[in-house]
Amino acid sequence: MSVDPRDLARSTDEALVDARLQDATAVPESSAADVATAKRSRRERAIEAALQIRGRRQWAPPKQAKPGAPLLEVRDLKTYFRLESGTVRAVDGVSFQLDYGEALGIVGESGCGKTTTALSLVQILPPNARIVGGEVNLMGIDLVKKTENQLRRYRWREISIVFQGAMNALNPVQRVVDQIAEPIEQRLGEPKATARAKARALLEVVGIPKQRGAAYPHELSGGMRQRAMIAMALACDPAIVIGDEPTTALDVMVQAQILELLERLRRDLGLSLILITHDLSVVAETCDRALVMYAGRVAEEGAIGEIFRRPRHPYTQKLLSSFPNIRADRRTLEVIPGSPPDLRAPPPGCRFAPRCTFAMAVCSEVVPPEITFGDVRVACHLYPPGSDGAQVTVPRPNAIGASVPLVEPPPDLPPMEVPA
Amino acid sequence: MSDGGLAKTADGTGSPHDVLYRLQGMKVHFAVRGGFLDTILRRSRGVIRAVDGIDLELRRGEVLALVGESGSGKTTTGRVIVKLTPQTDGRLTFDGKDVTDLWGTTALRGYRRRIQLIFQDPYETLNPKQSINDFVMEPLVVNDIGAPRDRQAATFAALEAAGLRPASDFAFRFPHELSGGQRQRVVIAGALVMDPEVIVADEPVSMLDVSIRTELLRLMLDLRAERGLTYLFITHDLSLAWVIADRIAVMYLGKIMEIGPAEQVIRSPHNPYTQALVSVSPTPEPPTPGERAKRTILVGETPDAAHVPPGCRFHPRCPYAFDRCRVEEPPLFDVGGGQSAACWLAEGGRSLPVLPHRIQEPVPSPAATAIGAELPA
Amino acid sequence: MGLAGTELGAGRWSGTGRRARDFAARLLGRSDGLVGVVILGFFTLLALSPSLFVGPLQTVLSATGTPLEPPTSTYPFGTDELGRDLLNLTVHGARISMLIGLMATLITIVIGSVVGIVAGFVGGAVDNALMRLSDFFLVLPTIVLALILAPIILDVIGPQAEFLGIRATLLVIVIVIGLTSWATTARIIRSQVLSLKERMFVDRARVIGSGPGRIMRRHILPNVVNLIVAQAVLTFATAVFTETTLAFIGLGDPAAPSWGQILNNAQSAGAPGLGAWWYIVPPAVSVVLVVLSFTLLGNALDDVLNPKTGQRR
Repeated sequence: MSVDPRDLARSTDEALVDARLQDATAVPESSAADVATAKRSRRERAIEAALQIRGRRQWAPPKQAKPGAPLLEVRDLKTYFRLESGTVRAVDGVSFQLDYGEALGIVGESGCGKTTTALSLVQILPPNARIVGGEVNLMGIDLVKKTENQLRRYRWREISIVFQGAMNALNPVQRVVDQIAEPIEQRLGEPKATARAKARALLEVVGIPKQRGAAYPHELSGGMRQRAMIAMALACDPAIVIGDEPTTALDVMVQAQILELLERLRRDLGLSLILITHDLSVVAETCDRALVMYAGRVAEEGAIGEIFRRPRHPYTQKLLSSFPNIRADRRTLEVIPGSPPDLRAPPPGCRFAPRCTFAMAVCSEVVPPEITFGDVRVACHLYPPGSDGAQVTVPRPNAIGASVPLVEPPPDLPPMEVPA
Repeated sequence: MSDGGLAKTADGTGSPHDVLYRLQGMKVHFAVRGGFLDTILRRSRGVIRAVDGIDLELRRGEVLALVGESGSGKTTTGRVIVKLTPQTDGRLTFDGKDVTDLWGTTALRGYRRRIQLIFQDPYETLNPKQSINDFVMEPLVVNDIGAPRDRQAATFAALEAAGLRPASDFAFRFPHELSGGQRQRVVIAGALVMDPEVIVADEPVSMLDVSIRTELLRLMLDLRAERGLTYLFITHDLSLAWVIADRIAVMYLGKIMEIGPAEQVIRSPHNPYTQALVSVSPTPEPPTPGERAKRTILVGETPDAAHVPPGCRFHPRCPYAFDRCRVEEPPLFDVGGGQSAACWLAEGGRSLPVLPHRIQEPVPSPAATAIGAELPA
Repeated sequence: MGLAGTELGAGRWSGTGRRARDFAARLLGRSDGLVGVVILGFFTLLALSPSLFVGPLQTVLSATGTPLEPPTSTYPFGTDELGRDLLNLTVHGARISMLIGLMATLITIVIGSVVGIVAGFVGGAVDNALMRLSDFFLVLPTIVLALILAPIILDVIGPQAEFLGIRATLLVIVIVIGLTSWATTARIIRSQVLSLKERMFVDRARVIGSGPGRIMRRHILPNVVNLIVAQAVLTFATAVFTETTLAFIGLGDPAAPSWGQILNNAQSAGAPGLGAWWYIVPPAVSVVLVVLSFTLLGNALDDVLNPKTGQRR
């Protein structure tokens, strides 16, 4: 049976739209969209998204692009910082893949290397940082080997980034619409008038009406400025947009608006997204896949459903239970003792071992290899090569919260040592 | 110090009439600063109504979460309670005594001993030029508490109570030598050293890593159990309030929209704003499309406090707004179980209908258009 | 960032020595810092004890050379019109010029800091009043003000006044320089204080009950000290230069040969017309070197003490 992938996509969209317009109680929990999605494999979805994006794009992919290559493939990326006090191994062997139309969430706490990873993809690194190894293959082209001049072809036109605190990175003395027109003019060589018209169209797409676009940044609210930054990132119609903590400083309602906007853009423009955040909940909302980083390495990576419902790595499990869940019955939070290691002298073996309740002898000696089970990749000695990938649940002795009785402390509470 | 806080589980509240702190009709209005000409002509350029008349009770031993987005007035409320910002109107009562006008009196000292504040940013709260020891001891020095030789012991005790053990290792260091979590513990020690009864915590963990947050929260809850503290926990994170608060009060544009026991406010909100907030609070669980459809993503952003809409201040963005909402501001109606909501729909104890996914156009109102509420794409 | 307690050593002072060494390393690692310290060190050495290097100050009576001799091996800087050894005069001039600079700087810094901190912190009408006052002093040209104030101050302190070997006329210069330079310092410090007083630790000091006096002393002042130090060094440079100018135009003390005074004497003796370059060059070059070194050092200090680092975590 040959089904035109575009037809499939259209009917899926309609089902989704219908679901949203109806009253909530009338929507069955497993809608048509769910069924259609589950039946298609990742590969089929990727092909369909690729067709969408190729049909929509207004110019050809780069000449050096290899047909059939995945959109983005990062292999063993290593980025180190040179400080007076030593070399910080901020990203120490990170690999992942991004397909057309996918949204990948890179999650971790401060210092885990997620921002550095993002900046390494577009190679906008501070002067004391260098990519010391690995490959960043954009449609088969290794960007690490490119010179600064050669990178210009790719930066912003194939892959762009919305920075952390981007709202404050807007030029205060230039109108917003002009700032968005600028890359269109300079990177794509469009004449001024066309560039401005496109900029205005982009602003409408992100939800800023025309008259607000002509304003200066300080006249816009935080949410609007973030939308403007997204418009700027879309200016040259890139294939990939990286968002570095795009909603961190925003109110929860504005965050919901921005996330919804990103989802809509993904659908309408066939964008691929890489979302960098410390907030697991944001990743749960918007992404297809999640990559959990710890101390410069990948702890776990996989489809959202697997990561959130069957987390395998002890760090992932603990991280998940550190986020308050407003829809859960129990009102508790998990305590992870200790703090991330100093990346100038990381511990040998698994970097999470000092904080892990399941640490075995091998963990502090040998770096755990990354093993793939179906849709999930884990780097943990609990899942050695050849195991079946069944989830090993880490016991949870430390919980706090309103559901925990005050008088009796939870059992097996470790002594409170000097915390880091 | 009361024992009421010790012998109960966290799900209940203290005895309902054991009100430790009470705000009545509290308002904080700031004049918009005009230019030189305005000052000469004595022209007022407008008023920022940061807090616009709230009644609040803080019960002994409880954790009351004050939740709101930016511009809600929650931080200002906290500052009024610790007397960093004077109130423009209203009555404040602490432990039965009127404390509305304490400025410039010696009683202010006693007040400050009993009510302290934990700030949001551990990197900013510590003076970079001041040693940890000086920081924690300062309240004792400033208020002339205890003999000088006892102060050092009290300082060390506070540092250890905050989890920094041994205290001597940390006391003589400077802030830049400590991590974020450690700094916040120092801030907590600084608040504990005078042995207060009430701690106002303004976003105490929002600037810390997730894994550090839980430790600090545990510390705060343990301190409540040990010392019978009462917390006013100010946060923008409704999920966090859900986990640790006994009661939750939701603020919007200077008013309390809803208040009640945490379970009730979250599970059966009676104010549309609360309902919307709960529905969009992200969870560490991928939502199903059915759940996604129940999200109420409001249009636009909170208007600024100089242009408060008439009637119910939420009406321009409210999915249920009807005529009465546009002209008359609802008071807090009791909806049972200790919960109250400020909404005309709540009058008579009606519960809210189930919401559609998106609110379409915002209901136009003269004040709202001045802000330029954005349209959905 | 979680450093164990033992790494940095327990106790109050162990950190201080390391911080001082760090600071010295960073300062001397910069070319402007190094040059400034070297030149300044050299002149300070001369100023501290000039007699050690060239013997006591030569006067009219103890002059040994022939008038207006060009430089020879006996008199490396030549002689002036009275036969005095110019090397001797120039080295002694270092002491006088720098002492005057120091005293004037002290006045400037004290007044400027106090005004800046109080105006910035207290704000309101006090701030307005103090800033209008400082505007007044900023706007008036120094020389004019000096000419007007000199006789007034002389009247006040009396012509016999002496302090640390500096006589009345020079004391007048000291006070004049102090009065005319404080306004710049006050403004700079005030703007720093304005941003400091919004910071959270000031709020915290308030919430525990500190009064404004304590906050200004314990919280604001330590955080502007770095700025004050950098300002002081730059002010010193200006003070030396101003003193040179004022002495040159005749407001100085003829018996105390500061560099400006030497230049004044050179002018009166007709040295330029006579081609007696050795009379003019040493004091002029010395002024340039000292002012330059202070400026370089001031800039280096400003960068080292007031780093504008962005990252916190």
